[in-house]
Amino acid sequence: MLQISKTIENGTALLQLDGRLDMISAPQLDAEIKASIDGVQELILDFAELTYISSAGLRVIMTAYEEMEKRGQMKLIHVSGVVMEVLEITRITDIISIE
Amino acid sequence: MREKTVRDMSSFERKRHSLEARIVRAAVLICISLGVVLLAVGLSLYTVSLVRQYVTHAFYLSQNAAQSVQKGSLNGVGIAEQVLEIYRSLSAEEQAKTGTEEYRALFQEIKQNKDYHAMKDYMLPTFAQSKDVSDVYLAMYDGTNNRLVYICDPAEWYHFDPGEWESVEKNEADKFLNWDGEGMLYHLSVTKEYGWLCTAGTPVYNKAGEICCFALVDVSTGNILAGMSGYALQITAALLIMMVIASWLVLRNIKKSLVTPINEIAAATQNYVEDRRAGKKDADHFAALNIHSGDEVENLSLVMADMERTLSEYEKSLTSITAEKERISTELALAARIQSEMLPSTFPLFPEHREFDIYAMMEPAKEVGGDFYDIFLIDDDHLCMVMADVAGKGIPAALFMMSSRSILANNAITGKSPAAILADTNTAICKNNPERMFVTVWLGILEISTGKLTAANAGHEYPVIKQPDGKFGLIKDGHGLMIGFKAGIQYPEYELTLEKGTKLFVYTDGVPEATNAQEELFGKERMLAALNEHPDGTPEEILNSINRAVDKFVQDAEQFDDLTMLCLEYKGTAPADELTVEADERNLPQVQEFINERLLSAGCSEDIQAKISIATEEIFLNIAHYAYEEETGSVTVSMEVSEDPPSLTITFKDHGIPYDPTAKPDPDLSVPLGKRPIGGLGIFLSKNLMDDMVYENKDGQNILSMKKLL
Repeated sequence: MLQISKTIENGTALLQLDGRLDMISAPQLDAEIKASIDGVQELILDFAELTYISSAGLRVIMTAYEEMEKRGQMKLIHVSGVVMEVLEITRITDIISIE
Repeated sequence: MREKTVRDMSSFERKRHSLEARIVRAAVLICISLGVVLLAVGLSLYTVSLVRQYVTHAFYLSQNAAQSVQKGSLNGVGIAEQVLEIYRSLSAEEQAKTGTEEYRALFQEIKQNKDYHAMKDYMLPTFAQSKDVSDVYLAMYDGTNNRLVYICDPAEWYHFDPGEWESVEKNEADKFLNWDGEGMLYHLSVTKEYGWLCTAGTPVYNKAGEICCFALVDVSTGNILAGMSGYALQITAALLIMMVIASWLVLRNIKKSLVTPINEIAAATQNYVEDRRAGKKDADHFAALNIHSGDEVENLSLVMADMERTLSEYEKSLTSITAEKERISTELALAARIQSEMLPSTFPLFPEHREFDIYAMMEPAKEVGGDFYDIFLIDDDHLCMVMADVAGKGIPAALFMMSSRSILANNAITGKSPAAILADTNTAICKNNPERMFVTVWLGILEISTGKLTAANAGHEYPVIKQPDGKFGLIKDGHGLMIGFKAGIQYPEYELTLEKGTKLFVYTDGVPEATNAQEELFGKERMLAALNEHPDGTPEEILNSINRAVDKFVQDAEQFDDLTMLCLEYKGTAPADELTVEADERNLPQVQEFINERLLSAGCSEDIQAKISIATEEIFLNIAHYAYEEETGSVTVSMEVSEDPPSLTITFKDHGIPYDPTAKPDPDLSVPLGKRPIGGLGIFLSKNLMDDMVYENKDGQNILSMKKLL
């Protein structure tokens, strides 16, 4: 149950996530990111409508971050609630910049 | 009201009550009666002797007079014959005129005779000297007419002229006229004229030797009476003095030998009573008495001392007997308490088992008895219920009950069937049962997951069952012999399937045999009616209502049997509060839906819902990926809501490789993201999202519970 809307502009890809990022939807996001980052210097993930994230989702984000380190940068925006808590517990907040 | 005692009496009452006063009264009475008798006897004797003296005196005087008249110079005989001749010559009518002048004139010639005067002059001074003698005279008895005819009477007082007569008693006249000369001739008479009179006489004979007249002497009585009163006065005075002396002596003696000792005994008794009231028990009041009167009073004091000693000994033994009795009754009460406290009574006994509700009670009669029930789990899925009644009462029944209960439980816990449990218990009890005690037992084993009840009955009351939509009714189950009667008995066994809502009621005979004051039994019909009054209550409510119904029936009548009952309600296996699925990641949505549904109905916040959901995903995937390696297996998820503290607990059970996720070290989060291991994050995340996580491995199962406080 994850809706992803994608916008690519001036080498910046913006992915807006709506719904749950779990074991089932994680491969969907992984595929979407892989399909979007060619020629992109910045990846922005908008978590405004994301209500759920599990370790499977974290793994996708971590893989994407490793990939984007080589090409430019990546950031997370509009993080809140349980999702923010999960990121803090796993100390992903130390590594990935969050706005 | 207490009766009046000596202490309550006034001194006047005490004196009246005293033996002393009574004795004085008795002594005075005796002395007076004795005095009267003595006086009477003395006076009679005195009178007789005095009279005799007077008679003698009078008689000798008359003898002298007769001699003088007969032989002396006095012509008494002639005068007498002359007077009598005239008297006899008179007709009866003339004689009757005696005392008149006319009559006296007939004897005129006598009075003119000088011999008559000489004799009169002679007789008066000569014989009337004694003051006791009132008259000396000559006279003749007329035996025909009973008259005394006077011849010569010198007296001036009551004087008779010659020829005058007076009537006399016939026996007097006869006595004088026919005297044989023996003894003294006298006559005593009481007359109107002279009072008490003694007449003594001596006949005077004429020449022919015939009695011509009598010389008579009258003795007056006045002096005799005077003498008598003087004598009586003396005797009375003497008696009075004697009486006083005798009373005083008797009194002194009695006081010493009777009154004083009795008063001592009374005082001792009073002190004894007062000491007893004050609670002093060891004083020797009677033993200390020193009475040696040598009679019944001494015996009394000895008997009292003996009584005091015996009472004291009796009391001592009574005190020790009472103490012993109290000790025994305390121990009995303690035994009864231990007995009833040994029965499982902390309800609910198995709160984790929602499949059934069970309640039991034992309302003991006065003493320790032989009823018991027992409820215990043989394993997770088997509940054993026992209802039993040992024949008899008191300590023997209680001891027998204890051993029966543990033999039954020990047999049951090994997983035998009810029939085998009863048979083996019977064999064990019969081996050592010299007192031939019996116990009736109903024993049932419920398979909790299916509701299958297997039971056997050793001579016990029929169980009662209520199907979900029915009424309570007896099950006439097959009975075996009561336990303890005969070794080697086999017991029939039967099965019942309890539906959801089925209720089972077992009891001892104390219920149907509860008795009211009219000696009526409560009976099975009243019992069933009472059960059917509130058939939808919980087991506890049902037992309480039966208890009330029995109480109402028996009222205040004393009960001799315990009231022991057990009620089970089967509620069926737990509703889908758990989910068992194949441990495969494809089943995650199903697991999450199961959890989410319950989270929604538990009404917790979105934030908490999300955290629990994440943790559930992590743990389920962990099991799905690693628990069964290449093989497949199941995983059971359940959720429980708890009130204290408000929390949710999610439990995962699997039969896979034993694995304790809580023991896994946390990943090192300080290393750069790229060098972090991919796995291991999920469990760490779950631990941090939940408030508690507990793992145990039990019966080959991995059981992981995570708790989230609300």
